[in-house]
Amino acid sequence: MSLVQVATNTVTSAVSSVTLTGIDSDDVYMVAFNNVVGATNNVGLQIQLTKSGTAQSDSEYDYAYKNLRTDTTFSNTSGTNQTAISLGNTGTATSESSQGIIYLYNFNSSSEYSFFTNETCHFNATPFLTGAQGGIVHTVASASDGVNFKMSSGNIDSGTFTLYKVV
Amino acid sequence: MSNLRLINETTASSVSSVSITDVFSSDYDIYKIEVVGQGAGSTNWSRLEFLNTSGSTISTSNYDFAQHEIKTYGSFSENRTTNNSQFLYLWIDNDSAGGFGNTMYVFNPMSSAYTFILGQSAGEFSTSGNVNTKYIGALTETTQAQGFTFVRATGTYNNITVRTYGLRVDS
Repeated sequence: MSLVQVATNTVTSAVSSVTLTGIDSDDVYMVAFNNVVGATNNVGLQIQLTKSGTAQSDSEYDYAYKNLRTDTTFSNTSGTNQTAISLGNTGTATSESSQGIIYLYNFNSSSEYSFFTNETCHFNATPFLTGAQGGIVHTVASASDGVNFKMSSGNIDSGTFTLYKVV
Repeated sequence: MSNLRLINETTASSVSSVSITDVFSSDYDIYKIEVVGQGAGSTNWSRLEFLNTSGSTISTSNYDFAQHEIKTYGSFSENRTTNNSQFLYLWIDNDSAGGFGNTMYVFNPMSSAYTFILGQSAGEFSTSGNVNTKYIGALTETTQAQGFTFVRATGTYNNITVRTYGLRVDS
């Protein structure tokens, strides 16, 4: 496997969102992110896709996760017709942060839905270790060119987000 | 040039553990580690512990871990540990007729933040069947880790190959 960097953004001061674009082929793409911290305690890091560089907030996201956690029994989470998908909550205390690997499929297709698989881990505000393993679909059959990250409330204070093409 | 850079490839045989030293640096924040191999003797789990910048094991009780077992027999199950001295349940392997594969990512080992892992594996449990895992972990201290050790709980590996890659970010 080889990775070719398409876009990257390292946040060092507060921003409302991070957009990575440049998906222009039928290859699989991968996003890696680490050390993501929000300005507001105990809120979710959310993902959306972009079309022509604009984040899509329509109610077309479906998802299903297995939630791994160290504090209690694992759980299943799913939803349909969402406007954005949370990848998991994190806190603002020292070393509470989010990291993950997300693969993107069919984004360049104008006739198929766009799919994500996600693996994430977070140290949340409680605090304990948690993470999600699962997938997301955006049920619109048109081409997408990237992804957008934001917090469910407040800004992103720090973190590095990188989009790679898998070749 | 690929942004997935091979840093180290180590192969060993007839060993109970394999240590990979001096692979984490300030050049990368995220690493991909691939492991393939075959155990010897009874069925056992493999574990992970980090090495500090002096090459010594970070053996403090600060390893938190959550793992989902997806298998061909019985019900799916889970393992959760906190404040342990290792990540305990990465993959399981059988005797010499078996084998295993594991892919994991390591985040922030050389930063002043916690070090995180996430990954998945496929292996074999005795005569019962196939056991696959999905897991996450955190070393909840800010000690810099420059390497790591895979340890078989008991017994040895007939052979084990570990490939460590860095995910390069070009700013």
